[in-house]
Amino acid sequence: MSETIKVTIKSSGDKKYEVSLSPSSTIAEVKEQLAGETEIPADRQRLIYSGKVLKDAETVAAYKIQDGHTIHLVKGAAKSGSAGPESTAASSGQPGANSDTSIPQNIAAGQGAFNPLAGLTGARYAGLNVPMPSMESLGFGADGMQLPDESQMEQMMENPMFQESMRAMLSDPQMLDFLIQQSPQLSAMGPAAREMLQSEYFRNMLTNPQMMRSMMQMQRGMGGPSAPAFPAPGGASTEAGNSTSTTNAGGSGTGSGSGSGSGSTTGSAAAANPFAALLGGNMGAGLGGLGALGGFPGFAAPADNRPPEEVFEVQLRQLNDMGFFDFDSNVRALRRSGGSVEGAIEALLNGNI
Amino acid sequence: MSLKRINKELSDLGRDPPSSCSAGPVGDDLYHWQASIMGPPDSPYAGGVFFLSIHFPTDYPFKPPKISFQTKIYHPNINSNGNICLDILKDQWSPALTISKVLLSICSLLTDANPDDPLVPEIAHIYKTDRAKYEATAKEWTKKFAI
Repeated sequence: MSETIKVTIKSSGDKKYEVSLSPSSTIAEVKEQLAGETEIPADRQRLIYSGKVLKDAETVAAYKIQDGHTIHLVKGAAKSGSAGPESTAASSGQPGANSDTSIPQNIAAGQGAFNPLAGLTGARYAGLNVPMPSMESLGFGADGMQLPDESQMEQMMENPMFQESMRAMLSDPQMLDFLIQQSPQLSAMGPAAREMLQSEYFRNMLTNPQMMRSMMQMQRGMGGPSAPAFPAPGGASTEAGNSTSTTNAGGSGTGSGSGSGSGSTTGSAAAANPFAALLGGNMGAGLGGLGALGGFPGFAAPADNRPPEEVFEVQLRQLNDMGFFDFDSNVRALRRSGGSVEGAIEALLNGNI
Repeated sequence: MSLKRINKELSDLGRDPPSSCSAGPVGDDLYHWQASIMGPPDSPYAGGVFFLSIHFPTDYPFKPPKISFQTKIYHPNINSNGNICLDILKDQWSPALTISKVLLSICSLLTDANPDDPLVPEIAHIYKTDRAKYEATAKEWTKKFAI
């Protein structure tokens, strides 16, 4: 093709360049052409048209760039031209690792297999930088983990930043949904799981240093002679960890069982472990540590055997008030949303219930 | 109706896009667009390119488009799922607004966050109490995910 098109190149700092392109030339050639005018080397140019980053191998025609249109030019780091959203998503598993790269990576790697959201949730708390004792000081060594020293744990618990972030986490409905979804035990409990996690009692427990300390002592006592320390976080630790935790939890059933599982398996067995799986990075380690403190003895979540019209009484009434009269769909939507009216409405409106 | 309007916006954007944003359909479906925003130079996001996805409702422009970040960003009003807390995307939407204007609003949100109406309270807290730390983290994330 002989005809050329004229496009405007907009660069940072409101610089504009008018260039003529041949539709059959490749983006790499366009960049070479621009390198002369803009003094930005071709490998540092990122060209953006119609919301897309233009890839070197494609041609101008392939992107349907039209005469008179504008292309944005961004100066980037060398060799980043083809970095699209896919590659950022792929690398996003690690944001939790901003301060301590080695350990969070393990956690993230363990989660990755079954949990595509792990990176995202991890990242969300990565920025918190809650001052916490380092992994080593907590006893999460590579060759096995001991329970953290009581005074250290207490120190951590008394840190207001830590308490605050725990609270923030538990009061975030999205986080709760995710937590519940993630754990088969919790989701089996239905809305009761949500209530349990949201209850003041549960939060107070997690943020009360004395309570945690007494649990920790209990846990130690119950560990018995055969299990003075927690098993190494190797392949076999899932089972071992779980069996200890069920004993600790005693008769308290699903709710506390899942809670206790979390601590003992922080390192590798993320699948059995809703808390650690949920939280990448330091936060995860910290929470895992808490879980290790004990199965929250005595805290038994009520099994939910009530009929749906009783469980969701308030929510159903609200839905009815809003004009959703189909009882069965309402219940299904509420079940799926874990009792959240807002979530149920969204599902009902989307029509996928 | 909605298609006509979307087509008009598309041709306006092609001819004279704002200097820091770009947007267009992903494929042949005119109701699904992608957009990119260049981090404003006077913000910690400078140098980064942030991708967004745009879904138009069938009753656009009477309902706002659904816009979310595809690139991770550290910002008090944007959460880890890319959801944006911006009034004009919710109750303050007006049919007079266009994608171009909305993208510009998002740009200005990047420069001036709104920590009093946060989507991520933790980041808002840091933004308010330790601005230097917020800027450092935002820069670091930009470097990691958007450059």
